[in-house]
Amino acid sequence: MPEAPHVITAATAPAKPRRPAPPALVIFGIGWLMLMLAVALLADILSPYAYTALDLRNRLSPPILLGGTWLHPLGTDELGRDVLSRLIYSIRTSLLIAFGATIIGAAVGTSLGFLAAHFRGVIEQAVLALVDFSASLPFLILALAVLAFFGNSLVLLVCLLGLHAWERYARIARGLALAAGAQGYAAAVRGLGASPWRIYGRHVLPNIASTLIVSMTLAFPEVILLESGLSFLGLGVQPPETSLGSMVGYGREYLTRAPWILLTPAIVIVLTTLSVSLIGDWLRDGLDPTLR
Amino acid sequence: MKAGGALLEAEGLVRRYAMRRGILGRAVEVRAVDGVSLKLERGRTLGLVGESGCGKSTTGRLVLGMEAPDAGRVSFDGAAMPQPGSIAWRASRARMQMVFQDPLGALDRRLPIATQVGEPLEIHGVGARSERAARVEALLRAVGLRPDQGTRYPHELSGGQRQRAVLARALATDPALLVCDEPISALDVSIQAQVMNLLLDLQDQYGTSMLFVSHDLRAVRQVSHRVAVMYLGRIVEEGEPDGVLHEPAHPYSRALVSAIPHPGRAGQRIVLQGDPPNPADRPSGCAFHPRCPVATQVCARETPVLKARPDGRLVACHVAHGEITAGQGHAQKEAA
Amino acid sequence: MLHFVATRLARAALTIAMVVTFAFIVLRLSGDPAQIIMGADAPPEAVDAFRVAWGLDEPIWVQYFSYFWAILQGDLGRSMRDGRDAIVLVTERIPATLALTLPALAIKICLGIPAGIYAALHRNSLADRMVMIIAVAGFTVPSFVLGLLLVLVFAVQLGWLPSGGQESWRHGILPVITLGLGGAAVLARFTRSAMLEVLGQPYIRTASAKGVPWRAVVTGHALPNAAIPTVTIIGFMVGTLIAGAVVVESVFSWPGVGRLLVVAVANRDLAVVQCILLLVAITMVCANLIVDLLYGLLDPRLRAAPRKAA
Repeated sequence: MPEAPHVITAATAPAKPRRPAPPALVIFGIGWLMLMLAVALLADILSPYAYTALDLRNRLSPPILLGGTWLHPLGTDELGRDVLSRLIYSIRTSLLIAFGATIIGAAVGTSLGFLAAHFRGVIEQAVLALVDFSASLPFLILALAVLAFFGNSLVLLVCLLGLHAWERYARIARGLALAAGAQGYAAAVRGLGASPWRIYGRHVLPNIASTLIVSMTLAFPEVILLESGLSFLGLGVQPPETSLGSMVGYGREYLTRAPWILLTPAIVIVLTTLSVSLIGDWLRDGLDPTLR
Repeated sequence: MKAGGALLEAEGLVRRYAMRRGILGRAVEVRAVDGVSLKLERGRTLGLVGESGCGKSTTGRLVLGMEAPDAGRVSFDGAAMPQPGSIAWRASRARMQMVFQDPLGALDRRLPIATQVGEPLEIHGVGARSERAARVEALLRAVGLRPDQGTRYPHELSGGQRQRAVLARALATDPALLVCDEPISALDVSIQAQVMNLLLDLQDQYGTSMLFVSHDLRAVRQVSHRVAVMYLGRIVEEGEPDGVLHEPAHPYSRALVSAIPHPGRAGQRIVLQGDPPNPADRPSGCAFHPRCPVATQVCARETPVLKARPDGRLVACHVAHGEITAGQGHAQKEAA
Repeated sequence: MLHFVATRLARAALTIAMVVTFAFIVLRLSGDPAQIIMGADAPPEAVDAFRVAWGLDEPIWVQYFSYFWAILQGDLGRSMRDGRDAIVLVTERIPATLALTLPALAIKICLGIPAGIYAALHRNSLADRMVMIIAVAGFTVPSFVLGLLLVLVFAVQLGWLPSGGQESWRHGILPVITLGLGGAAVLARFTRSAMLEVLGQPYIRTASAKGVPWRAVVTGHALPNAAIPTVTIIGFMVGTLIAGAVVVESVFSWPGVGRLLVVAVANRDLAVVQCILLLVAITMVCANLIVDLLYGLLDPRLRAAPRKAA
């Protein structure tokens, strides 16, 4: 059997080269992200107070490190609300918005990219024109305009931020679907008589999933930054809800007297975006060098 | 062979593409396939040969209905080919299948072989779920793979094994027609013969009709009952494989045959003159005349028609039909 | 070349038309424009009169074309708050914004590009690591956090610089640094990867193997080729000159276009928002157009392509 040597190499070679252990910074990033997810999920259990609860006797109380009491480990704000509790709920809100928006963006972008690749012609041109359009406007300005026109709500905010980076997924999905369809496996499966649902859902999507996941990891911190920026401007998450950005926004009035109000959420924002970026870069280098 | 006529008939197929030169150039119309008619009997194999870019692969996709022709029609088993992508078209895939040049590209690298071989059964709802595993196993055996290789992923198999897997998948729904587009050209020489023999065995076993597209005249002869030679989107000669190979009538076929290395027949090689054909810039008259060693001025003006010689061979050449005497070739004349 | 310029111009016009269309659709979807512009407590007769006066009783496509026509003539509506022309309100804020964004752009380019090139040429050195860490930090620290930190240190703790306002040039220092540092980090990271990509190309290795001095390889081959992707991102930065300081202007109470936009959004002053949106889109599209044309100069392949077709 002349093909035997191939069989032997296939059987003895390890299925996949072992990936080296992630660098320390990435491990830190993964750890921090896990911590944030745990905080978001367990917010009700972890937070010592309700995030709206007032403690008027302990207004602007400093955190422990600055000589505060264990009653409010991270201090209190101008209304005596516990900064730790507000931080915990802010993490939940910000992560929820960022996850929701990233998933919406990926779903919308990928679907439009597939539509463009499948139908070609006018539909493809329309999608590409939309891609050009959204690439030609700074997203923050677009988001502000939409908020001005429609007013504000949490659902609108999530959907709006979901449109951020959709065009990246659309480009990737279209490009990879076209490549698969030209003469590759997608064309072969189409030739078997498969429906478009099967072609794109069962074959193309799993094949491009790693690229999409890397793109999502790279877009996630941008969404966090956008949300916190909008909330900082007072145009994102509205009170009584609280997010990391709105905490910084309201805390800036007490910058001189009580800097801890804005410093703690600011540190959380920076560490979270940093962690996800580090993980994203690492994933990109490992999984998908083409995205560089 | 049943009496009810040919399995596949194609008439006057034309496929045009718009090709741009440069990024912003004007679109140039390219006729990849320019009036091809062919007929395939049940249980028979038609070989289609020609250089790359002559439109043979496009012809294969057209007769399979993978894309719609701009002119002409294809009928399969007496019925017209449905519009590509339509539900009727998708259902018709169970009866006609394709085998690709690059088996690694044609397989989904994220699914095990057995799943992919069984996919046509799922798509067309053949058999109960429980019966499918047995059917997949039988298919794998039929193409010479071990059932345990079904759990492997495409990159874990050799090139020949992958092509066997692609064949097994193509045969899953027991199709009446198989279009093989250069099925062996990506394989090692030692494995090419195995796959060729496998194709012959499978045809004996299942009575499948085949359209065998290749640039390799010898491979085509080995499997075909008839062979058609294509040049720049048209069939220039068609006949029995032995006849065409031993006594080619068209000057282009002669050049192709002479290019086959043959022990003890050195020195007879016809080296073609001029540039290789460019479908975007089709010569007038007979498309082959700028490279033809026997072309005359008539060849540059009048397009020869594909018609039968007294011995039944179909040829499109003024000289081969004796309408004019052989010239000195266009290229030399211009140089003189 | 003419064909090249013409297609780019057509695409630019199409994008601006899409922004106008977007503004129109969003305006219509957001509710009854008459009601929004007249205010919720306006008497119904007044709202109806407004509708007739502005043609809001006409079919939607007639409205669309008259809207388009008005914008082409530079009529962008009036501010709800003080009744002044939106375009006047916006343009008088532009100099203040440019006073921040232009020096910041200079910082980005003068700091970011050399840092990126240096890091790429000394890959994996200590300097490279430092540049990369600062660059990642510059991307992950939001501008409002950076701005507030600078205020906390230089205005509150040290008292060297004012924390906000626009009274003197000293008020501009912190916002310009805030804007410039963040952008420089992005640019450094981008330049570094563009440079590394080019340095890995076979023609660089060929040139240095031929014995061309390394300095000449870098200046003659690597830099011009790395410039092509870098120009894109600088073009984007130029495009955001008018409205790239929304957050920073808010942090430092700087009365520029960004501050105007935030206030207009909070008050739902739609005419002003729409005016800024169009202005930003036009700036962006023009910047992209210039980048596209510069591409033609920098990349001989793109220059040659249309000539071949002609």
